[in-house]
Amino acid sequence: MNHFLDWANHAVFYYYLVSNLAYLTMLVIAFRTSAAHLRHLESVRFDWIKSSPMVPPVTLLVPAHNEAQFICTAVRNLLELDYPELEVIVINDGSTDKTLQMMQKEFSLRLVRAVYVPQIMSAPVRGLYRSDSDTRLLVVDKEPAGSKADAVNAGLNAATSPYVCVVDGDSVLERDALLRIMIPVLADPNRVIAAGGIVRVLNGAEIEAGRIRRVRLARKSIEVIQVVEYLRAFLIGREAWARGNMLMIVSGAFGVFRTDLVRAVGGYRPSAIGEDFDLVARLHRHSLEKGADYCIEFVPDPVCWTEVPSDLRSLARQRARWQKGLLDVLWPNKDMLFRPRYGRIGWLALPYLWLFELLAPVIEVAGFATVLLAAGFGALSWPFFLQFVLFGYGFATVISIGSVLQEELTYKRYNDWQDVARLVSYCFLEHFPYRQLHMIWRLQGIWQYLRGDMVWRPLKRQGQEPVGADKADSSPVTAS
Amino acid sequence: MGSAFDTFRKLGPAAFVLKAIIFVIAADVLLLAFILLRRTYRKWYFANRDARMLAIRLRWEALVSGEIPYVAWRSKTSERQLVETMVLDAYEVANPEESARLLKFMRASGLVEKCILEARQHKGWRRHRALVALARTRAPEGIRALAEGLRDRDSETRLAALRGLGQMACPEAAKEILNWVDDAGLVVPALPLQSALVQSCAERPQVLLPHLQHADKTVREVLGRVLAEVATPSIGPELLRFADDELPELRAAAARGLCYVNASAAVTVLSELAKDAVWFVRLRAIVGLGELCHPTAAPFLLHGLTDSNRLVRLRAAEGLVDFKTELLPIFEKVVALKDQYGLHAFLTALENAGLQAGLIARIKAGTGIEKEILLQVVQTMKLPSENYPRQENILVKAASQS
Repeated sequence: MNHFLDWANHAVFYYYLVSNLAYLTMLVIAFRTSAAHLRHLESVRFDWIKSSPMVPPVTLLVPAHNEAQFICTAVRNLLELDYPELEVIVINDGSTDKTLQMMQKEFSLRLVRAVYVPQIMSAPVRGLYRSDSDTRLLVVDKEPAGSKADAVNAGLNAATSPYVCVVDGDSVLERDALLRIMIPVLADPNRVIAAGGIVRVLNGAEIEAGRIRRVRLARKSIEVIQVVEYLRAFLIGREAWARGNMLMIVSGAFGVFRTDLVRAVGGYRPSAIGEDFDLVARLHRHSLEKGADYCIEFVPDPVCWTEVPSDLRSLARQRARWQKGLLDVLWPNKDMLFRPRYGRIGWLALPYLWLFELLAPVIEVAGFATVLLAAGFGALSWPFFLQFVLFGYGFATVISIGSVLQEELTYKRYNDWQDVARLVSYCFLEHFPYRQLHMIWRLQGIWQYLRGDMVWRPLKRQGQEPVGADKADSSPVTAS
Repeated sequence: MGSAFDTFRKLGPAAFVLKAIIFVIAADVLLLAFILLRRTYRKWYFANRDARMLAIRLRWEALVSGEIPYVAWRSKTSERQLVETMVLDAYEVANPEESARLLKFMRASGLVEKCILEARQHKGWRRHRALVALARTRAPEGIRALAEGLRDRDSETRLAALRGLGQMACPEAAKEILNWVDDAGLVVPALPLQSALVQSCAERPQVLLPHLQHADKTVREVLGRVLAEVATPSIGPELLRFADDELPELRAAAARGLCYVNASAAVTVLSELAKDAVWFVRLRAIVGLGELCHPTAAPFLLHGLTDSNRLVRLRAAEGLVDFKTELLPIFEKVVALKDQYGLHAFLTALENAGLQAGLIARIKAGTGIEKEILLQVVQTMKLPSENYPRQENILVKAASQS
């Protein structure tokens, strides 16, 4: 027994060692990639791109459900985005409030009988409305189907551009975000099939007329910890995975996709829990099976601001849901594992997600159990245990600080030095008890999935303008 | 009394914890100190930079006119960088008169020459930056250096040079790009190449024609698309040659450009291209027919309404809607086609153009038994159930008329 416990403790130690070394590698790659990206930006003139005669049109797909309060501001801001060829399609997903009426009034919508070909299955469409005040705006009014994926599919059917950009109606896009996210696409439209931007935490920021007036760090600890998580996930995880063309998630809150390919894979899967992750996995599969030379890019400077949960209950629900979503995508795609046909996705990205994302809470719990057992049996080497705890703590802190440092050296959105000081402090504080709680929520997610509990539980929001009450839930923190 | 190290050692594992905690605190403090110092330095740097920029702006006129000797600022790196940034920013938004003055200043002060030198000598991202700066000067003498950038090993540098040449927007730049494409083939993605060529060939599209004849298939496709974008009446007759080219891109280019040619001649060719097997050739032909807005084009646009491709139908409908004075007879013909998709496309285009009310008014003002039927069709978007006269011979008639 003692021998087994000793072996188990060492196994857990090596698991953490590999996990942290993987993250350290990602941190180094991310630093190099960010530096290269910043240098690249110096040679890109955005006004050249805007004036380029061959800029492909982009359709923004904005699913909206019961967002009457802020939808007009959000749509107005989207119409003002800095991009030459823009179409905005708002999908009113069976709202029971006055979402449609508000838009009708604000944008002089009139019912049109435009050609709508339901190439991708979605709930029935009640009507299509074109704006008289801005013909770039189309509103698709559809029956509710209870999922964001279904709403996006309806929008995809109505989209006329070669690229679609899915945006949450309650998120705030920076004015040049679309132009910036399209830079890799414009540079190589044949290879780049999708691109994701960075999602940042809106909580705490000062907003005026739907635009960020001043970026400030949120006040609550739980929100600040999420800021650290988002920085780690995007500025380290996504940046590094994208560098190796193994990006598995383009955030549902802000991402650009080639329309024909999204249609070719059947659009978003309405039953998917993490529809963004699911779509990207299917895009990888489709392209690899076709033997296509493709890439999915991550662009760290186009920013989409989104509100994160500010109470433990909502956060727990969100994280459980993300874990369910992860399992919901990894399980159907298990046939991609270790198959030469799927290249580095099958050999690296997916095994990493299985081992260090999906199974991490299970292994952590097992680790705790073996430590307790070993202590009970008197087989625990206390120096080893302490060293292990400190090693884990120190290493994880280094990674978190690395992400804050990268933010500080590169994009520097938090201008107030007090905000940075708080961010750094939370890099040390997030490990207890937040990390343990997070582990429990993720375990709950796995358990819920295994017993077939797929109910979507709404998250409580603060309702900062223009954030609505019923936010679509995009997962950013996988690979964190 | 033992040393502090002895005390540490006696603590055993607890000492390790203590050391770790001290290390972590030290790391925290160092990091914060680094961030604080960096921020302080940046604050000072930008304040200093702003102050110097303000000082330059105050003597801007004297600087640009050469009253202040160039050596006064040229020899100081930071000063030179500021002047360069300011002059390039000003140049981008200047009117033609001011542009000429600023270009003269950049030439006289040696800034253009410096940009050329840097674009030739630097490597990697420094070369990108130099190429961009050179292109921003739009000085023709920089074209050669930009063209050399096209032959760089790094794809990013090639793209920067290509975009720069596009910004030059002159036939000389186009020639450099085309010569390079002839030599190297398609070594950059097609879209930026097309963009650069469209910008630089707009003034004289003829520069494309010799390259279209001997380029390989892939390059010809790209050049065909460019030709379609930049075609002007001056190359109308040349385009006729491509109407029966084996490459669909060239046929599409011809279709797109033919709307600049004499309408009666263009309609004949476009009507043939509107029957092409490739959908985007048909689409271009229909768009061309729509842009001509010539009465003889209407029957072929009507035929386009029955096309198997949705986009072709929509474009045909948009073309038909442009015949604003003839909307009622056209609508009657659309109904007579008995094509539900075509009818839908036409009514959609009508709604998008805001002409539906006008058509209804004209139908109501008309007489005859068909009035009610037509009104019902507009309102329900469905074809009449009874045997509305089908005009199968519309196209035959149209062909004979044209």
